[in-house]
Amino acid sequence: MVAQPTAADIRSQRRQGLFGNTLEARKRRFGLFFALPAFLFFGMFYVYPLFQTFYVSLFSWSLIDEPSFLGTANYTRLFADKEFLNAIWVSFLYAFGVVIPIWGIALGLALIFNRSFRGRQAYLTVYYIPAVISLTVWSLIWLLLYNPSFGLFSVVMRGLGIGGLRMLDDPSTAMLALILLSIWKGTPVYMLIFLAGLRAIPSDYYEAAEIDGARSWQSLLLITLPLLRPVFLYVMVISLIEAFKVFTPMYLLTSGGPGSATRVLSMFIFQNGFQYLKMGYASAASVIFLLILLLLALLQFRLLRFQQVD
Amino acid sequence: MSKNRIFRTLTSLLGQMGLLAGALLISAPSLYMLSASFMNSNEIFSTRLQLLPEALNWSNYLEVFARFNFWLYLNNSLWVTGAVVLLNLLFTPMVGYSLAKFNYPGKNVLLLFILATVMVPFTAILIPLFLIVRNLGWINSYPGLVMPFAMSAFGVFLMRQFMLSVPDDYIDAGRIDGASEGRIYFQIVLPLIQPALITLAIVVFVANWDEFLWMLVVTTGDALRTLPVGLAKFREQYQTRFELMMAGSVVAAAPVVLLFLALQRRFLQGIAGLSGLK
Repeated sequence: MVAQPTAADIRSQRRQGLFGNTLEARKRRFGLFFALPAFLFFGMFYVYPLFQTFYVSLFSWSLIDEPSFLGTANYTRLFADKEFLNAIWVSFLYAFGVVIPIWGIALGLALIFNRSFRGRQAYLTVYYIPAVISLTVWSLIWLLLYNPSFGLFSVVMRGLGIGGLRMLDDPSTAMLALILLSIWKGTPVYMLIFLAGLRAIPSDYYEAAEIDGARSWQSLLLITLPLLRPVFLYVMVISLIEAFKVFTPMYLLTSGGPGSATRVLSMFIFQNGFQYLKMGYASAASVIFLLILLLLALLQFRLLRFQQVD
Repeated sequence: MSKNRIFRTLTSLLGQMGLLAGALLISAPSLYMLSASFMNSNEIFSTRLQLLPEALNWSNYLEVFARFNFWLYLNNSLWVTGAVVLLNLLFTPMVGYSLAKFNYPGKNVLLLFILATVMVPFTAILIPLFLIVRNLGWINSYPGLVMPFAMSAFGVFLMRQFMLSVPDDYIDAGRIDGASEGRIYFQIVLPLIQPALITLAIVVFVANWDEFLWMLVVTTGDALRTLPVGLAKFREQYQTRFELMMAGSVVAAAPVVLLFLALQRRFLQGIAGLSGLK
C-alpha cells in the first residue's frame, strides 16, 4: 500500500515536469521534441516490424491471396523441414568459421600496428582497403578469382600443384570459399577496433613493467590482453551478429548451393519469402532467427558480466 | 654494440618485407579487379597466370556505360545515398543531443529500442518492412529506397557519444543569454561537433552505398536500381563478360575508395569511434 502512491507520485511529478513553464519543464519538452523523429522512425521501421513478423508467422500468405490463419503450424513445419535445420547449421558453420580466424588475425595485426615503424600509416591504409570495397563488388571479384579454368585463385593453386579446384561448385569447398573471402574483407574493421583499444592502454603500465624487468611477452600476456578484454567482447558480439546477417556473397556466388551447402538463414528467408512467396513461413523462420541471435547475445553478455566480476 | 645494430637492422628489414608481402596479398583481389577491368576477353580467359593486361584498354568502361544502364545505376546510387546521408545528418544529431543532454519520460525506452536494433538482423524484419513500404505505395520509388535508412542506431550512438563531450556550461551560457533551445542547438552545439558530423556522413555514406538486400527487394525494374543491384543483375544476364563486370565493379567501388584515400584519418577515426572508443 505504501509503494503504490509513491510510484504514482513520481509519475505525476514527471507529468507535471513535462508541462508548465519552468526551465526544467521546457527542457524536457524540448528533449522529447528532438527525440520525436527517433520514436517515429524506430517505431515504424524496427519495433512495429518485429511484432508484425511474429503476427505474419501465424498465417499462410503468398502476398497475392488472402492470408489464412494457421496458428503455430508454420513453426511445427519449420522444425520438421530439413532445409531449415540445415540453414541453422550452415549459418553457425559460416559465422564461427569467419569470426574465429578474424579475432586472431585482427588482434595480431593490431599488435603489429600498435608499434611504430617506417611507413606505418601507409601500410595501415593498404591493409584497410578490403573493408572499403563494396561487398557486392568484393563478391564479384571473388567470383572471377574462383573461376575453375581462368580465375586467378585457381590458376595460382594449379601452379602450387593443387589442380582441378572447383571451389564454388563443390559442396565440400563452397563454404570454405565464402569463409575465405569474408575473412579477407572483415578483418580490417576489427583490426582497427583492436588498435583503438590498444592505444587506449596508458603507456605507464608498460614502462612500470619494463622497470620491473618484465619481458615483452609477459607484458602482452599480463597487461595488454587483460586490459583489452572489454574491446574483445565488443568485437565478439558485433562480429558474430554481422556474420549471422550475411546474405550478399551467398546470393551472388552460390545462391545457397551447391545443393544447400551455403544456404544460410538469410538466404533461406529471402528465398522462401520473395522467391516462393511463402510470407508466413519465411516470417516464422525470421522469428527463430531473431531468437537465435538474442540467445547468442545474452550468452555473450553473460560472459561479459561473468568476466567483469573476477 | 655494432653487432646489436646489425641484428636490429636485419629484423626491421625482415619486418618490412613481411609487411610488404602482407600488403600485396591483402590488396591482391582489389588490384586484380583494377587490372582485369582493362583486359580484353582473351587475356581474362587465359588459363595461364596473367596479372596485367598487354595494354590499357578503356573499351570495357566505354562499353559498360554505352550499352548498359550504368549511368542510371550510378545516378540512382548517388541520389539515394546522398538523400540517406542528408536525412541522417538532419535527424541523428538531434536525437543524439536529446539523449545526451535531456531527461524526459520514455528516454530509457528509446535508448533500449535503439540498442536492440543493433542486434536485429535486417532479414528478420525484411518481410514486414516490405509490407509497410508496399502499403505506403513506396515500392519502386525513391522514398521506399531511402526512408528505411533515414536514421541508424549506430549513427545515434555515435552522435550521443560526441554530444556527451559538449560541455554543459556552453549550453547553460546560451540559456542565460536568453537563447531559445533551438538556437542553442543550431548555433552553439552543432558547430562544436562539426568534425563528428563529417565522421557521421562518411560512416553513413559507406554503409548505404553498399546496401544490397533491401534495394534488391524494393526495386522491380531497372529504373531505380542502384549500382550493387545493377551489378548483380548484370552478372545474371551476362555471366561470361567478366571484363565488363570488373569495369562496372571498379566504377561501383571507386567513390568509397576515393573518399577513404582522401579522408583517411577521419575515416579510420569514425570506424574506431563506432566502438565507443576514442
